[in-house]
Amino acid sequence: MLTFWTFARKFARNRAALLGLLVIVAVVVVAAMAPVWFPRNPLRIVGRPEIWPFVNPRFPLGTDSLGRDIAAMIAHGARTTLMIGIFASLTASLIGITVGSTAAYFGGWVDEVFMRIAELFQTIPNIIFVLTIVSILGQTITNITIAVGIVTWTPIARLTRAEFLSLRDREFVQACRAIGMRDLSIMVRQILPNALPPVIILSSLVVASAILFESAVSFLGLGDPNVASWGGLIGDGRTLIRSSWYICAVPGIAIMATVLALNLVGDGLNDALNPKLNEG
Amino acid sequence: MDTISRRDLLAGAAGLALTSAIGGTASGQAARTPKRGGTLVGSWGGFEPQALFVPPGGGSSPNMTSTKVLERLIRLDEDLQFRPVLALSVTPAADFRSYTIKLRPNVKWHDGADFTADDVVFNAMDYWKPISSGGALNALVSAEAVDKETVVLKFNATVPDFFLKSILAGRTVTIPKHIYAGKEMMTNPANNLPIGTGPFKVREWVRGSHVEYVRNENYWDPQLPYVDKLVIRWWRDPASRSAAFEAGQLDFAVFNPIPAPDVKRLVDTRRFTAVTEGYKNTAWALTTYFNTQREIFKRADVRRALLHAVDREFISDTIYFGRAKPATGHIPSSNSLFYFKDLPTYSFDPDKAGKLLDAAGYPIRNGSRFTMNIVSAGWFEENVKAGQYLRQAFEDIGIKVDLAIPDRATSLKRIYTDYEFDMAISNNSGPLELAPQWTQSYTTSGIVKGAAFRNASRYSNPALDKLVDQYLVETDPKKRQALAREFQLILATEAPVTSLVEIVSATVARSDVRVAANYADVLGESWAHIWLDR
Repeated sequence: MLTFWTFARKFARNRAALLGLLVIVAVVVVAAMAPVWFPRNPLRIVGRPEIWPFVNPRFPLGTDSLGRDIAAMIAHGARTTLMIGIFASLTASLIGITVGSTAAYFGGWVDEVFMRIAELFQTIPNIIFVLTIVSILGQTITNITIAVGIVTWTPIARLTRAEFLSLRDREFVQACRAIGMRDLSIMVRQILPNALPPVIILSSLVVASAILFESAVSFLGLGDPNVASWGGLIGDGRTLIRSSWYICAVPGIAIMATVLALNLVGDGLNDALNPKLNEG
Repeated sequence: MDTISRRDLLAGAAGLALTSAIGGTASGQAARTPKRGGTLVGSWGGFEPQALFVPPGGGSSPNMTSTKVLERLIRLDEDLQFRPVLALSVTPAADFRSYTIKLRPNVKWHDGADFTADDVVFNAMDYWKPISSGGALNALVSAEAVDKETVVLKFNATVPDFFLKSILAGRTVTIPKHIYAGKEMMTNPANNLPIGTGPFKVREWVRGSHVEYVRNENYWDPQLPYVDKLVIRWWRDPASRSAAFEAGQLDFAVFNPIPAPDVKRLVDTRRFTAVTEGYKNTAWALTTYFNTQREIFKRADVRRALLHAVDREFISDTIYFGRAKPATGHIPSSNSLFYFKDLPTYSFDPDKAGKLLDAAGYPIRNGSRFTMNIVSAGWFEENVKAGQYLRQAFEDIGIKVDLAIPDRATSLKRIYTDYEFDMAISNNSGPLELAPQWTQSYTTSGIVKGAAFRNASRYSNPALDKLVDQYLVETDPKKRQALAREFQLILATEAPVTSLVEIVSATVARSDVRVAANYADVLGESWAHIWLDR
């Protein structure tokens, strides 16, 4: 059994992952402190439009084309971004693990039906699917989260299925069956804990892609206009790219750093959790 | 780069060519002989049309692509003079119940057939009246071809001269009878490859990219058009249009083609010019509608109070980067016939707005007066920002706001079909003549569920309807103006629908592009008068 400290040591051996974790922690801190540092509604117009970063100490990251404080929008946008990332990942994991494990454990026609459904979802281009769902359900942050969850569950389902397939006929599972355990508790209590590590790694990557999806949706103007979002900020600044490029660059860097950090953390988790890399 | 030759204008055979240079140094270039030849690449601040010609109109994009091929009887210039195109004259009878149209002789369609009075009769009865004029020609009873070049239009009511000519210079392009008669108009294949009498013939439409036109060698004015080839190309967003200008891929683009902050940057290079002429007959506004069927907003005192919370200077200076100005009435100030500057206006005064709402019975309770939802039509980027600004403006006077900025299709549905808003932000536009385009956004007859840019407020006021009806049949220009003032006064006081700012439209062009005409609607004219000084 992997103890926390061996896990932490293995994770920390990957320096890049440590850096990624640092960035994620920083983003979480900013998101948590946003209401304290910037108590006003971040979408309020507070100054002259298009003040460059580091010019006016009141607006350390400058103002956008309407005169809204970019620093406030970045901080509050971090909340939105993390919220969407985490909840979309949870939604996707929930659907993915349920579908994948059920399909693999029962096999036969259940497997056929579930995997064909998964393929159906995979054949539709993700971003178009998200945009369709958002434009049908309406442009609120909840709907965007659900939409992202709906399009990103398929890889999780396939991975869970693969893990389950390799585990379901092992001796310990057969032993469980022999002592008369019910299917559900075999799946949840016995197989799932063994199948989970790679799924967790994939889920962390889904957080990253959820952030990118939300940014794309907001960039295209289909985001929730009532909340601050990094993608929305880039979309608003797009027409000014030739003169005030920082409006796009600041949130762009934030998105890039966060997504990269999540990927690095994913790598680190892989190193720490993958038993095949465990020797030494 | 460009060799600039200065030759004086030879008093033209056509007689109606007044050369106005597109550009800053207009005075020096006012008189020049247009040069022939070259390829003009044009565009506009929007997307590709659904078809090159859409019979009921279909908006600016098909209007632009079709009017290079299909001509009208007359056209309107910025000096408010109607110029002959396919008709040499349009003359009212003494009682204004019939009009005689003299047509230009020896005009041929692009396929070689003759253009005759029969074509005009067909257009008047089967196309203009029922389809393209939007109800403006409902009083038309008959059209008769007296001879090959004369048509008489008969009406069952008096029809004002300026009104009829505006219609004939507006949405009523002339289509060939021999192609359209007896066939379904909307699905006619000629809609994608129009056959007209115009200065340009369609050569090819590459969907998703551009349409290419070639010079009509048999055009009725042998001088025109000046260019050999015209290409209309579309880009997906304003920033790529300014990149196209700089890369030399675009010569002439109308209706705010590039981001407002880029205009100054391009003009400062002196390789490009930007002008605001050419939009008198297609003025645009940032328009707000209150939903007058809803409990709170059916009251004029509430509507007026909310307007006091809006800083129109901020909208024009910051959201439009100065390329708009605060509106002082429903009709834009560019309308030299029907704009009145002495109408009631709503100064920016949040305190007053708050007091008016207190007085109206909506004081702040538990932090807010009430909650309203705003739907801003997402087709212009400025609408997005205006929605964000208005939310803040109303929050400042204690109103909770739920903002939605849907895409084009959803916006049209929510605003003009489902009426699902407390306040809607949209864009009204229209020509100099107020009826029907401007008036139908507040008359009772303008309440048409599902029809875009009509009376989305569902405001209904018999007194105002009566004034508009009188205006429609009044033939004395002075009395028409007086009636127009009266109903605008009601509108300004009741405030169901309001122009917040007038959008100043701009044309951006390479500095060697010249227009030898002063179009009142540069997007919807034939561009035969454009030439390249290269």
